[in-house]
Amino acid sequence: MAKTKTSEAATQENRITDDPVFGYRALPGIADEMVDIHGNVRSVWQHLLASIGRMDETELSNRFARADRYLRDAGVFYRAYGSKESSERSWPLSHVPVLIDEDEWANLSAGLVQRADLLEKLAADIYGPNRLVSEGVVPPSLVGANPEFLRPMVGVKPADDHFLHFCSFEIGRGPDGNWWVLSDRTEAPSGAGFALENRVATTRAFSDLYAETHVHRLAGFFGAFRDMLQSRKRHPDDRIAVLTPGLANETYFEHAYIARYLGFMLLEGEDLTVVDDRVMVRTVAGLKPVGVLWRRLDAAFADPLELNQRSHIGTPGLVEALRAGSVTIVNALGSGILETRAFLAFMPVICRQLLGEDLLLPSIATWWCGQQPERDHVMGNIEKMVIGPAYSTRPFFDDNGQSVLGSSLRDTAKLSVADWLKTDGAKLVGQEAVTLSTTPAWINGKLVPRPMSLRVYVARTREGWQVMPGGFARIGSGANAAAIAMQAGGSAADVWIVSNRPVERTSLLPPEESFIRTMPGSLPSRAADNLFWLGRYIERAEGALRILRAWNGRFAETADPNMPLLKDVSTYLSALDIDTKQAVPDSLIANINSALFSAGNIRDRFSADGWLALNDLAKTARKFQATVEVGDDATHAMTVLLRKLAGFAGLVHENMYRFTGWRFLSIGRYLERGLHMTRLLGHMTGEDTPDGAYDMLLEIGDSVMTHRRRYNVNTAALTVTDLLALDPLNPRSVLYQLNEIKTEVEQLPNAYGNGQMSSFYREAMRLHAGLAVMTPDGMNAAVYKRLEQELERFSDILAQTYLN
Amino acid sequence: MLYDINLKITYAYEVPASGGRHVVRVLPVSLPDRQRLIAGSVSFAPNPEERSDNIDFFANPTTSITFRSAHDKLVIRMQARVQLDPQPMTADFSPKLADFPPEIVNVWSIAPDSPHHFLGQSPLLPDDPSIAAYAASIVKPDMTIRQIARAICERIHRDFTYDAKATTVDTPPKEAFRLKRGVCQDFAHVMITALRSLGIPAGYVSGFLRTIPPPGKERLEGADAMHAWVRFWCGRADGWMELDPTNNIFAGADHIVVGHGRDYSDVAPVIGVLKSYGSHETEQAVDVLPVV
Repeated sequence: MAKTKTSEAATQENRITDDPVFGYRALPGIADEMVDIHGNVRSVWQHLLASIGRMDETELSNRFARADRYLRDAGVFYRAYGSKESSERSWPLSHVPVLIDEDEWANLSAGLVQRADLLEKLAADIYGPNRLVSEGVVPPSLVGANPEFLRPMVGVKPADDHFLHFCSFEIGRGPDGNWWVLSDRTEAPSGAGFALENRVATTRAFSDLYAETHVHRLAGFFGAFRDMLQSRKRHPDDRIAVLTPGLANETYFEHAYIARYLGFMLLEGEDLTVVDDRVMVRTVAGLKPVGVLWRRLDAAFADPLELNQRSHIGTPGLVEALRAGSVTIVNALGSGILETRAFLAFMPVICRQLLGEDLLLPSIATWWCGQQPERDHVMGNIEKMVIGPAYSTRPFFDDNGQSVLGSSLRDTAKLSVADWLKTDGAKLVGQEAVTLSTTPAWINGKLVPRPMSLRVYVARTREGWQVMPGGFARIGSGANAAAIAMQAGGSAADVWIVSNRPVERTSLLPPEESFIRTMPGSLPSRAADNLFWLGRYIERAEGALRILRAWNGRFAETADPNMPLLKDVSTYLSALDIDTKQAVPDSLIANINSALFSAGNIRDRFSADGWLALNDLAKTARKFQATVEVGDDATHAMTVLLRKLAGFAGLVHENMYRFTGWRFLSIGRYLERGLHMTRLLGHMTGEDTPDGAYDMLLEIGDSVMTHRRRYNVNTAALTVTDLLALDPLNPRSVLYQLNEIKTEVEQLPNAYGNGQMSSFYREAMRLHAGLAVMTPDGMNAAVYKRLEQELERFSDILAQTYLN
Repeated sequence: MLYDINLKITYAYEVPASGGRHVVRVLPVSLPDRQRLIAGSVSFAPNPEERSDNIDFFANPTTSITFRSAHDKLVIRMQARVQLDPQPMTADFSPKLADFPPEIVNVWSIAPDSPHHFLGQSPLLPDDPSIAAYAASIVKPDMTIRQIARAICERIHRDFTYDAKATTVDTPPKEAFRLKRGVCQDFAHVMITALRSLGIPAGYVSGFLRTIPPPGKERLEGADAMHAWVRFWCGRADGWMELDPTNNIFAGADHIVVGHGRDYSDVAPVIGVLKSYGSHETEQAVDVLPVV
């Protein structure tokens, strides 16, 4: 029915056009996720759009803030690489999810499962008989000159006969509305953990909408994958671990998150050793077997003996263990070759050859320029092409600018491209410069279309491949598809697969009746080492803070750094590399940073609150360093820092599970506190002790009140010694620390062997007993010196016994 | 020719190593129509806790060993008797450079001796424009592949000075090329980079070379060392040939092959990861004795 536009309708139209939500329009000639080609909102989106449309600006920003707060509190970050240094960035969530209809998703899933099957067979051929090359399907140079081809893995059969267990695919929707695979991820696909975090954060913003919309849950997918991994263990005693390259990796947070979520150990290459062709993890209770490794480490770095010899993050002998078939590694070392961009050109023919069927889901149109006809085609259609490296394993819009857009070249440049294709053709591919679909993003108070690609995940389960119902959408920062990569300022959104029926809810928690209380597994030695040093650094910082506060307090009164007591303490501190001329000395900052570094290495082991508290301490200390002055100002600053430090210690004390990890952290703290007090007493209880030293000692030892209550005399050498060195009930005395150390050591693994005390436990007993029998008048500088040396030696023995 | 070869590599650790893992490639390989390993053994002192003998991708024999107890010294010994059949020098059927690419493309194989492994960059040998320019300046249009390789070998021999102090085992070919100095490893690496820049597949050969004492002088025991030279692929007809740029000769009756690789990293005699803190010293003694 034809309609004439009345002026009222035109006004209404204007109102809609200006509306921040209903004014959303797709870009001309570009597919959109929410709006179809006729401008109608797709049915799965209607409820979401209508609901958002009803919310005012304040409500929306409150909702988004809830999501952001969740991400911040959970400590979600990724590492961004700048030109000079890398830094942790908070996770850039695009709050509006991408909604996809479950029927469309089912079609897509069938294509992805076929592709996973195909890649599995392709890997088996490349590292096996190589029929694709000998039968002329795949050009030999694409394998032979491929840096991802790991020759030591040729002929190595995976322990469970599968090369691939976990793949991801970067997919995008073209202008015709169909999905294309932009890139295959088989090496060590990242982002599945971020997908989970996106989900949690987005549901914080839209909990009501999430409940009203039938969105497929993600937990079942992870549960099925975990079950499969568990089934790959060969002995009940085998461990399963996530193998991470470590803290410096851009997605380390995710490795820690996934490990914690699935209940696996988080290990680095140096945690592992290979004994008689078995992979073992070094724990404080000795070597324990590892049966399954989910690696997030690039394969070439996994074994410095047989792969990249410059790797410092690998495990020597790992390849040998794989050859022996004693460990399942996800995915097989060498799987990275499947990501090669040039392979996309051959996928249709490889599929027919290996599966005997046609590819269900096309790849982005790709031409390998090592052959004349393909080269001519690329040159003839240069305006519609992206030219990039053939061996690259990244999609063209996320390869740090290695690819060039044909249409962006001027005529002279086109000539040189022709030359480039001719001389270096075998190293180049041309790809159709596709325009990706857009999806709504909330930017500057308005819903606007932004280009997106999807990262989707496919995992092997006991019932075959399963596609994660969801994933993570990468959203471009501008209209340009080239800015989708997170490193270039893009963001990430949750993906909701929407059903028209209620969906099954699953959780990774076991059902109530099968509840068992499991004790934490063996603590890896490296984690114990980091916990021990975290304890030491924290306590070292506290010791320094207490002395500095006392020093600055007195300096504020006298303003005379040459006063004997102040001079004496400055000398003492300078031996510890602490300069009292600085209000917040560099070495104090270094100490706190070391604590932060140790804590960062074991982020899977303590709460996000503790991590935030420690970060806050470090940030405040750095801020103070720039502003605070020596004297009263510094006294105040030290008090603030001590309070923050106590906050961290309190969080750890209140919340950390009392098991082996806790013991190493505690022993580190007790040991450092004992050392601190021993050194200080040794320095300040000599014959030429300056005036006021005993009062200052009591202040540093937080024992002024106790002293006043306990002893009916003025401060004197003997009473101070009694209280700070020998009193078993004063939590700051040396003897107290030794007693606590003894108690903790008794609980460590292997404290008793064959009914006998271990030599380490004996050492802890001896240390304690040696001091317990002392009297105040027997304590002198020489005794303190010896005690200090014994404590240092104790630390070394601990390291040799448990941390190697 | 029949040779007895003795090799002894000694590592002395300043601080005892508490453990270690090594992959050793020192045993000569058997090659059809080139050389035959009649007998050979590799032994270690102290005795490793684990040992396994394998064949790597490029068909080189390897021995992997593991130590779990403290040791301040490691001695690797290799003894072998090898029968050498000197390469017959056939007529030159290798193509000209312009006709070469199709020959390579039509090798539909990635077996260990396929030329496709030896064309691109390898771990120690990135593309280098200065070496590429050097190579291009040597080539004349009517030269065959074999002639090109011969000419490059000759030029390196002429332009470079043998100087054991100028480079170390880690010196990149770019640096050796700038210095125009080095040892056999550097000469080989520069020549391989030069050949690959022209599109000629080239690889690294590690092995032993019999040294002939100056007239009237007695042969010094242990004076020989492990040696390295180059092999290059010159088409389907001629296949692989070997040139020694250090001595400017085709590898012949005095070159005993231990292993083939893309560069030194594929065939390093000892690759090791050690649990130790201090430094270490290495000594290598080689004897190549003709059996009369």
